[in-house]
Amino acid sequence: MSTCPRCQAEENKIRVEHKGLNAQGELVWTIFNCESCAFTWRDSEPATTIDYDKREEFFRVDPEKPYPVIMPPAQYK
Amino acid sequence: MSNKNPPLSDKALEVARRIGSLRDFLEFLKENGQCINWSEEVYPEPDIRNVAVAAGRDSMNGPAVIFDNIAGYPGKKMVLGVHGSFTNIALLLGHPKGTTIKELFYDIISRWGADEPLLDFIEPDKAPVNENRLTSNFNLYDLLPLYRINEYDGGFYIGKANVVSRDPRDPDNFGKQNVGIYRIQVQAPGEFTLLSVPAHDMGRHIMAAEQEGVPLKISVMLGNHPAMCMFAATPIGYDESEFAYASQMMGSPMRLTKSGNGMDILADSEMVIEAELMNGVRSFEGPFGEFPGSYSGVRKIPRFKVTAISHRNDPIFENIYIGRGWTEHDTLIGLNTSAPIYAALIKDFPEVVAVNALYQHGLTGIISVKNRFAGFAKSVAMRALGTPHGTMYLKNLIMVDDDVDPFDLNEVMWALSTRTRAEDTIVIPNMPMIPIDPAAEVAGKGHRLIIDATSFMPPDKLGSDSKIVTPPAGPEIDAIAKVIQMLQNGGQS
Ligand SMILES: [Zn+2]
Repeated sequence: MSTCPRCQAEENKIRVEHKGLNAQGELVWTIFNCESCAFTWRDSEPATTIDYDKREEFFRVDPEKPYPVIMPPAQYK
Repeated sequence: MSNKNPPLSDKALEVARRIGSLRDFLEFLKENGQCINWSEEVYPEPDIRNVAVAAGRDSMNGPAVIFDNIAGYPGKKMVLGVHGSFTNIALLLGHPKGTTIKELFYDIISRWGADEPLLDFIEPDKAPVNENRLTSNFNLYDLLPLYRINEYDGGFYIGKANVVSRDPRDPDNFGKQNVGIYRIQVQAPGEFTLLSVPAHDMGRHIMAAEQEGVPLKISVMLGNHPAMCMFAATPIGYDESEFAYASQMMGSPMRLTKSGNGMDILADSEMVIEAELMNGVRSFEGPFGEFPGSYSGVRKIPRFKVTAISHRNDPIFENIYIGRGWTEHDTLIGLNTSAPIYAALIKDFPEVVAVNALYQHGLTGIISVKNRFAGFAKSVAMRALGTPHGTMYLKNLIMVDDDVDPFDLNEVMWALSTRTRAEDTIVIPNMPMIPIDPAAEVAGKGHRLIIDATSFMPPDKLGSDSKIVTPPAGPEIDAIAKVIQMLQNGGQS
């Protein structure tokens, strides 16, 4: 999993979060997190969730776009 | 008001005394055929979602499902659907299987309005939740069998946490301590976002902490007493305690203890995550498949850092499936959404008979009322829109007469068919609306609809010459219907 399935951020933005092992200690799956768009995924998920091209376009995220901010801290300044 | 409530039945008290925790309730559900183990291996995605949706199809009698064989999480347990059917809620309140939704509504009403706390405080070192305590190296992905609830959610959500916070400007006030269900997205091994808005108690606490530059500490309770989950999601007053409500509703004390960061917490919960607001930080959150059945979009929201975790031995992670209805979310909060609307209306209008706000947290509600004169039901509807929950949620209101059971949609449709004139439909434009309603004009603003499906009263002459057939009704017929059901089930109730 080299780029983010949601925002296509490059590998250097992808953090390995956790590796799931079975009772014998063998690797079953790995969880990743994208530092650009905060997407979290597991490499064992269906392609419709973790493959950029197979995901519904509607759910792509462009971290440069202005998204709504809940209770913007700036309002206190 | 508490002393006006009728006493609970012996059976209700017996069940209440027996159930002190999620574990107790799961055992009780199992004895009653309402909890199953799914022991075939499941992958976190998409298997858990698939089983959850299938189990949730039967909103009347569906079971809780315990997963104990999740790939990558050996030895870990997760449970869904604890409040997934009305029968599970009936059992919690001391009723048998086969109890109707209307009977449950009147039971909850009879327990409503009391706030005499029935709380036992126990020392933290004696509380089961503190059997294990972590103070560093937190990894939520390892401690909890986390998974994506719906396929386009932005991450892994904790959907059924009861979050305790105190007003950071009045931290010693027990009443102003709030317990609420807020959606939590895990953002890092020891960090998460929590969605609240300024109208929520938690939203007020976040804004107060950031304005005054003081820390906001919270305790996230997971795997809780089943009454706590019902009442953490109940819209009650800002100064009222959810702990008090939950214990009073059960008629038996709840066991509280102190968390490491000073909150009152349930002593018997499966896990408590202590955390602190990262003042001024906002992180991407969402989408999340929400209770209207659509995804709420990506936003930037407040973020918290874990400071300690307490948990029982072999903790059970309780979560919820939420999405396009019917889901556990609807069963969990439906009756407790209906009851406070009823309780508010009855103060001014004793003619109100029942309120059914089961649908999508009350986006559609049906109120049955004894019409005093022509147009009376419309006045009651206006009052309902002014109740605390109605202000944001009651979008479509159907008013029916007192001879119509608002929980029986066949009867409601009969009223719509025979008692509604198009003129008796009112649209109130540009009203407040919850931001995640997909039918809003713009997020947070939209139109309200009142359909007056009550019969014609003087001075209205319309329909006055039609006489209604009155088939036999009442407790006697209800009892016969139960006998028929029992005979159909081969003599078993
Ligand atoms: Zn990304």
